[in-house]
Amino acid sequence: MSDSKHPKLPFDGENESENALWDALGEASDAEPSPQLRQNFYRELEEASRPRFPERLRDLLGFSGNAGWITVAASVLVGLGAGQLLDNPADDNLRLAALEENVSMLNRSLILDRLDNDTASKRLRGVMDAAFIAGDDAEVANALLLRATNDPVPSVRSAAIGALGTQMSTPAVGKRLMDLLQQAESPLVQLALVDLVLRNGSERQINQLEQLADDGLLHPDIARHVNTSLKRDLV
Amino acid sequence: MRAVTDEQLIQWVADGDTSCLATLFERHHKAVYQFCLQLTRHPAQSEDLVQDVFIRILRKAASFRGEGLFKAWMFNIARNITLDHIRKSKRQGSESLDDEMMDQNLADQRSAEQSAAGTQKMNLVMQALARLPEAAQQVIWLGRFQFESYDELGQALGCNAGAARVRMHRAMALLNSTYTSINGAPIDV
Repeated sequence: MSDSKHPKLPFDGENESENALWDALGEASDAEPSPQLRQNFYRELEEASRPRFPERLRDLLGFSGNAGWITVAASVLVGLGAGQLLDNPADDNLRLAALEENVSMLNRSLILDRLDNDTASKRLRGVMDAAFIAGDDAEVANALLLRATNDPVPSVRSAAIGALGTQMSTPAVGKRLMDLLQQAESPLVQLALVDLVLRNGSERQINQLEQLADDGLLHPDIARHVNTSLKRDLV
Repeated sequence: MRAVTDEQLIQWVADGDTSCLATLFERHHKAVYQFCLQLTRHPAQSEDLVQDVFIRILRKAASFRGEGLFKAWMFNIARNITLDHIRKSKRQGSESLDDEMMDQNLADQRSAEQSAAGTQKMNLVMQALARLPEAAQQVIWLGRFQFESYDELGQALGCNAGAARVRMHRAMALLNSTYTSINGAPIDV
């Protein structure tokens, strides 16, 4: 973790070594919790909030059964009316912003869950959804990269590769995809990678691709596809 | 559209909108995890503690008075829960590894990438930090990584800004002497 991510509490030590230690602490690395934490928390949150709401409502109203629910309905109507009268646009904007943040966050969690699902079709769905947010979200991009490099199902791997298209210029992603190109045995995966490089690759990556084709490290049909595409580009 | 503050979100949690707790969780769970990990030196236990912290926040949301920072209040809860847990663990003698081994594990885990980058010094700093008493570790960790003023740090520690500053200086002096005893010499300036 870079020190720039940390707030700056002013510290002036008794001596130079204390100040040096203070600076050194800023270089400490981030330990990441496992993805399980998020799943467990949401499960626990659901459990913690479910039974309490009706109980609180019943306590609050002092009713149970139909009488309570009629009172609830009446309260909602009164609340809506009061809301119209005391409309506060600033508060509405804040709530809307919170709602937007909640929705995008839940969407993100859903995508990460899908990318990790045991069922290939759900992972594929996750890959398609992840393509829209991977550009702005490193965790999603990493999860996608994991699918691209490690998924046991070739169609998921090739979809993930395609979804990473815009990330090809990111050094870490570009390098791992180029490494994968040399290791991939499935022609489907090779083809997806080749198309990605041809579409979004840098000049260096395209040279590397041409070299792989010349060295016979690609499936013969795909090597032919590379040569044809590059010649067509040259023309 | 401006971001909603933590203080506004916890207010809505207190009003019964538990979905806002999810936003707070997403914003802060990593920091709370790192704080718990520093004190427990145990990743799985730290994850359980993070959950306990946020569930406690849900239950106690109504008691947040809105006068201070939510983050300080949250770390105050995290401190109490983590220290309770450590006290119970010590009473039950349930640690599966002894402290020294844990220190080493944590330092190894943290230092894997740093060693690769050739920063052995960082490894020693983290070892020294892990050997300090919990109270000193808390002060340093929260002060170095979470807060921008002694006033905020004081809120998290349950004391005033002056006391927070004194605690920080004591803790850093202790870290300095611990580092020196491990390394055989003070840190390179």
